Amino acid sequence: MPTGIQTPATFEPTLDSCDDRPVVLSAHDLTKDFKKLRAVDRLNLSVCRGDVFGFLGPNGAGKTTTIRLIFGLAYPTSGYVQVLDHHVPHDRQEALRHMGGFVEDPMFYGNMTARRNLRMIGRMRGEVDEERITEVLEMVGLSERGDSKVGGYSHGMRRRLGIALALIHNPELVILDEPTSGLDPQGMKDVRELIRTLGRQGTTVFLSSHLLHEVELVCNRAAIMRKGRVVVQGPVSALHPTANAVKILTGDQRRALEVLRGLVGAQGVDEDEEYLVVRGGDELVPEAVRRLVADEIDVLAVIPAVEQGLEDMFLELTARPEEKGPE
Amino acid sequence: MSHIGREFVKILFQKRTYFGWVGLFLIPWLVTIAMRLSNEGPPPPGEGGPQFVFLITGNGLYVALASLLSLIGFLLPLLASMSGSQTIAGEAENGTLRTVLMQPVRRGALLMAKWFVANLYIAIGLFILLASSLIAGGSIFGFDRMLLVTGQTVSVGHGIGLICVAYLFALVAMTTVVSLAVAFSTLTNSGLTAVAAALVLVIIMLVLGGFSVFDFLEPYLFTSHFNAWLDFFSDPIDWGPIGDALANFAVWTVGLTLIAWLVFRRKDILS
Repeated sequence: MPTGIQTPATFEPTLDSCDDRPVVLSAHDLTKDFKKLRAVDRLNLSVCRGDVFGFLGPNGAGKTTTIRLIFGLAYPTSGYVQVLDHHVPHDRQEALRHMGGFVEDPMFYGNMTARRNLRMIGRMRGEVDEERITEVLEMVGLSERGDSKVGGYSHGMRRRLGIALALIHNPELVILDEPTSGLDPQGMKDVRELIRTLGRQGTTVFLSSHLLHEVELVCNRAAIMRKGRVVVQGPVSALHPTANAVKILTGDQRRALEVLRGLVGAQGVDEDEEYLVVRGGDELVPEAVRRLVADEIDVLAVIPAVEQGLEDMFLELTARPEEKGPE
Repeated sequence: MSHIGREFVKILFQKRTYFGWVGLFLIPWLVTIAMRLSNEGPPPPGEGGPQFVFLITGNGLYVALASLLSLIGFLLPLLASMSGSQTIAGEAENGTLRTVLMQPVRRGALLMAKWFVANLYIAIGLFILLASSLIAGGSIFGFDRMLLVTGQTVSVGHGIGLICVAYLFALVAMTTVVSLAVAFSTLTNSGLTAVAAALVLVIIMLVLGGFSVFDFLEPYLFTSHFNAWLDFFSDPIDWGPIGDALANFAVWTVGLTLIAWLVFRRKDILS
């Protein structure tokens, strides 16, 4: 396990885990049951000031429910969320003064303009002047459509408006659920740049996304959720597969599989869609290559564990059978 | 902007708001024109509808009473159900409830603002109905001294005052229906389901009140008291039925609103 990664067994949301930065958002044994379904299961999480924090997980992992619990839209079965000094749900109203964002598809009053929506909803948390409305509409690229009725907006435009509403009061914590969903490539690029800018300005961003590439591009820390629990969290740069597996692509995968199975020190060899996956660590690479070359098998590519990214870790953790899952 | 102001602006941006109000404006004109064109006289005592409906042709003041009598059984409860059901379920259905509740607002305060504005919608509707009735009745049949149920007559001004009080009574009655719809609205994420549930319950109560075998239930059904406003048109005013009705409406309104609050304050917003 690379340094800096916290699994549920070792993770405690303390100041230490944020390198002396204050914890802006934390979840403490957060649990949510829907009848017989446990959607969120003793979830612990900490997000530090200035983090752009990626929140990953497959469909049904409990990400959206977790965000609803953070916003106080749903009530936890047990546990709580803390936003700065405020507990959710007990002190939900005060916590919400420090947060902005949206969950799922942001929805607005379709028979009103974007500007009126921002004015009306924005004023629920304090005064909003027209200059600020214009400013946030420009930030999300909606300045030309600000006076159009939201009912005519596309899915992507509503997302942009959701981001505008999230930012209108300059909150310390911005929570965005799939913010680039439905956007065109330029829109995705713009939103990612906006998120990076927010991070640089010291705003803490909690970003739920299915797009691993997006998280790698914009986040400095991330957590992966599976079946209601955070199975791993840490700096994105340190998130690599825990199995320390080497991926090898050859000119004859079938023969190479036979050769590598006899490799001393290898804990197992599997085939994925493209590569042979040799478990056992990067130190096996020289010997593996020597064996393959000796058997006149062309070695086309070798990807050491350290170069495998978030996607490999995500797939490894989320595809892991129940009985082998981290506790 | 206060919660009430914001909620009121929201209903002003909805087309259905105006459909209801336009309907309430048109109905007195239809009644007045129909009576003007009709040559029918009042049916013999004991047959047909209320006698005073046929007094319209001699005194436009009765248009307001005929309109209220004809609408309090169905159209007004329908509008009250629609208005109340949109408060929570309608917004949940549109997804805007979560947008609103992600702002630092107290759920109880928001619910009460929505309840108030749902009643304000009905109050404005009743005002439109009253104004339209007086204008239509006055312009086509003119005003005259009002004949009361007990046989005395009162001045036009006194008559209009009694009509206003009757409309206020109707507003209190409809507050009960609004509260019922708001309570259902907190239990579902479908505006249509909340409207249907509230309206079906009102109709069930009306049906129960229509059979003598269920007479023992009558004091408890709020629908049984909808027409207690007729007692304002006696001299002296019979306060007994009016007091019973107001007490009944108060119990239902407080009880249903309390249920709505208890449900909504802990409701998971999953829509």
